[in-house]
This record gives sequence, structure tokens and C-alpha cells, in this order.
Amino acid sequence: MTLQFLSPTLLSDLANCTAPDLDELDFGVIAMERDGIVVQYNAFESSKAGLSPDRVIGLNFFTTVGPCTNNYLIAQRYMDEDEIDDVINYVFTLRMKPTPVRLRMLKGSGAPLMYLVVERLANNGQ
Amino acid sequence: MVNETLESELEALTAFLYVVPVGLIQFSVNGNIQLVNPFAAQRLMPLSSNGEFTDAYSVLHPLVPDLSSKIRDFQAPSGVVIDHVRCEACTGRQETVLSVTVHRVGTDAYLAVLDDVTVMVAQERRIFEDQQRFRAIFDNVRDYAIYTVDDQGRIEGWNPSLERFGHWRPEDVENRTLADLHVDLQEPPRALSDFLHRARQTGSAETEGWWLLQTGTRVWTNTILTAMPNNEGQVRGFVVVTRDMTERKRMEDELRRLASTDPLTGALNRRAGRALFKEAYGKVSADGREPGAIMIDIDHFKAINDNHGHDAGDAALAALVQLCAATLGERQPIIRWGGEEFVVLLAQTTLSDASAQAELLRKAVASTPIDTPAGPLTLTISAGVAVGRSHPDKLVHDADVALYRAKTGGRNRVMTA
Repeated sequence: MTLQFLSPTLLSDLANCTAPDLDELDFGVIAMERDGIVVQYNAFESSKAGLSPDRVIGLNFFTTVGPCTNNYLIAQRYMDEDEIDDVINYVFTLRMKPTPVRLRMLKGSGAPLMYLVVERLANNGQ
Repeated sequence: MVNETLESELEALTAFLYVVPVGLIQFSVNGNIQLVNPFAAQRLMPLSSNGEFTDAYSVLHPLVPDLSSKIRDFQAPSGVVIDHVRCEACTGRQETVLSVTVHRVGTDAYLAVLDDVTVMVAQERRIFEDQQRFRAIFDNVRDYAIYTVDDQGRIEGWNPSLERFGHWRPEDVENRTLADLHVDLQEPPRALSDFLHRARQTGSAETEGWWLLQTGTRVWTNTILTAMPNNEGQVRGFVVVTRDMTERKRMEDELRRLASTDPLTGALNRRAGRALFKEAYGKVSADGREPGAIMIDIDHFKAINDNHGHDAGDAALAALVQLCAATLGERQPIIRWGGEEFVVLLAQTTLSDASAQAELLRKAVASTPIDTPAGPLTLTISAGVAVGRSHPDKLVHDADVALYRAKTGGRNRVMTA
């Protein structure tokens, strides 16, 4: 299965993926329950962030895994909005290095999982 | 194996730095950001104008606009370039205050530290506002003084309320204690320390007494002492509020007088008189003197009312009381017992002394014409005198019996029991 970062059906496609499916993607995928608890953390994201899935799964993403997203641009939107499908440019601090990224925020009304999809931008020099 | 251990340690270190609740940014002199932790990005990304996080000067610009010149001017090889500069940052709905410190940590390495001090700033603002409120009270009160003393009662600080209320200037209260202003705390020697002790035990203490103005005048005051604890909960001093109670004391005295006197004549009323009798019987005399009573009745009083009018009768009653005071002394209690009957209480007397006093009064009344609305009138009185230690009621009864005999014996005379 080849998923594209900008695919219009990405939310439902991700929902149908198993963990090994997600690990094959060349962008990061963080799947959370609707309260922000991480349930899937794919291999790409794990290697870039320097955190193994074991260390991350079960924790609140916004407060304890990726606190750089805990502001009104990202975390607040996941908490406030019932559905989201949006793309924004942002900067992650992966291994404390400022890393420009493109984020796709996905949340479906009533869907059990919501996703933060992370694509590294070309000029990050990493 | 070594690699695995290293990797695991690196992961732990990464996880640790991810959750540090303080923002850290390391950058070079040209502004290039080398390292940044999530907290810094979390707080600064919403402020970023271009969505980038590569140049420290532009990232920190909303907080420290002049960072580049500060760094250019900083000559030392290491040290603090900017020390806890506070900046308000509005991100979305939240108003936050960030404190920014920038250290030079190497030849071409700077470290910015960001701390969220929103709560601290709010607390400081509350404390500042409280101080302003208290200062406004201290400076503007007129009818009382608010000041502080240390745990020994020494006046700690002057404020305008002391001058406004007590005319005390700063130099007047230097090295003075509460007892220097509160006359009643000067004696006995332990009065001040007892007062402080009470306040220390229960948190506050109250006293009423004379307060000294700088002019030397005394003012009747109420003073409340409230203990001020230090951080360890020990009493480090007291807040003192001293209020002018002169007017209240005057009113209380006036009410007490009104409640105990007869409004027409100014004599004590019967209730107040009975209390005085009780008091007189509570005292023991060493020289055989005993309580005595003179019961007085105006002769033919009904005729005065009938022939000259009630105003003349009222004037006669008032004149009798004045004559009593003039003849027997101002301090001799005269009680209006009822109608035109009066009793003079003699706290310590003998039958002959009491009888002589009554006779003196009888003569004074008979020889002093009184002014009435109906013209001058001359009155006479009859009096019964009794002395005895057994009971106030018996004393009055005996005097009453003697009075009756004076009346039936022809009036204008004194009889003894």
C-alpha cells in the first residue's frame, strides 16, 4: 500500500493500516485517541525523534511526547474541533534540532483515532 | 553492546530534554539556532512571523527586540547578557509572561532560557495592589491611626495617619513604644508586655484607654493589636489600629446620666437611688457611722399646684433639688423617690449629724423665696431622719415614719426615727 501525504482519503486509509503498514511509510504518523494518548508511533517518526514506540505509546502526545505542539496552533485545535483536515508548516525540535516540517492534522467526527502526520521539508539540512 | 547502551542513554536524554518545562535555545553569534527544546518552540512558534525557527534574533524578536545589539555590546568571554527580562506574550487566548535570560556560554555559543512566570507575575501584581490599597488606607484615614510595631511593641514605621490623628511626626515616634502613646499601658510596668502577650496568644487583643496626642492632650481611644506572622508562622510584630472614641464615651456617659436622673429636677431617679443605697450598705465603717436617710416632702404641695398651676409646682420641685445641692453639697445624692418626695442619702453619718443637716435644709428652704411662672413663692418642707445598718428598705421606712410624724406634728419641721 502506498499512501500519499496529501491523499484526500488519508484519514480512512490510515485507519485501515496495521502497525507494520505504518512502519513502511516515508513520513511520520502519530495515532492518538481523542484525548491525546498515543496508540501508534510509526518507525519513521520514531527514528527521527529518537524515541522508541515503547517509550511513547500510552503517554499524552501534546504534553509529554511532543510538547512543542502544545499550543493553540496544534493541540488546542485537536481539543476544540470535532473534525480537522488541515495542513500547516511548523518546526519540530527533533533531537533538539529545529526541523521544518509540514503537518497534516486529521480528526474525523466520531472516529476513535486522530492523526498527526509529519513530513520533513527538503531544506532541513538533516 | 556498547552502541546499544549509548543509544538507550541517548534516548533517555532526549526524552528528558523533550519534557523540560523551561525553554532552551542555543545559538551562535550570527543567530543560527543549533539546538532548541520543545518548550521553546511551543511558546515561540505562535509568535513567529514567518513560521521559521532558524534565526534566534527573529525568533526572540517579539520578546527581546534589541537582542543583537545586547550581544554585540557584551564583551566578556562568558556570563549573563540579558538577565530575567520579562515579556508579555499573547498566544491565542492565553496571556502569558515569559522571563528571558541569555547567557554567553562559549566563544560563539549563546544560550537563551525562557521561563513562564505568568503565575508569579499575577501574584506579584496582587501583592503590589494590596500594598497600594493598604497605603491608601494608611495615608488617608482621619479618625484613626494605623501603624506597626515590632514584637516588643516598638513603633516600626511612621505613616501619615499618625500625624493626622495624633500630630506625631516621624522624629517623634522614633525609638518610642506603644506605651509612650498609650498612657494606660505605662502602669503597672508589665501592662504593655501583657497586652502584647495576649495578642500573641490569640492573634489579636483590644484595649480602651487614654491615648496621648503629640500636643499632650489625651483622647479616649480603642486600640486593636493584630499579630503579623512571618514566613515561619512566628509573630514578628503587630498591626495597631487606634480609634478615637471620645464621642462614643461622651454619649455613653450622657446615656448613663439620662437613664439615672429625673429629667425635671436633675435628681437621681428611684432606680439609681436604690443602687446607691445598696452600695452604701456594702461598705463597712470603722468609726460607728452608719448609712442615713433624710426623707423630704414639700408642705401643701397639692395647694401649690391648685393655686399657682403645675408649672409653679414643677419649679418648686426643681428649686428644692437645687437648694439641697447648695446646702448639703453637690456630691450628696438626692433621689426623687416619688411625687414631691425626695430622699437624701448620707452614706456615713450619725443620727445627730443627719438631723442637723436636715434642719439646715429646712431653714434654707423656708428662708429662700423661689421664682415660679406665677411669681415668687416661699415653701416649707417636712423631713424625717433615720440611721441604721440593718437594711436599706428599713432605713427608708423609718425615715418615712418620722416624716409622717413631722407632717402630723404641724409641718415645717424635722423629726427623727
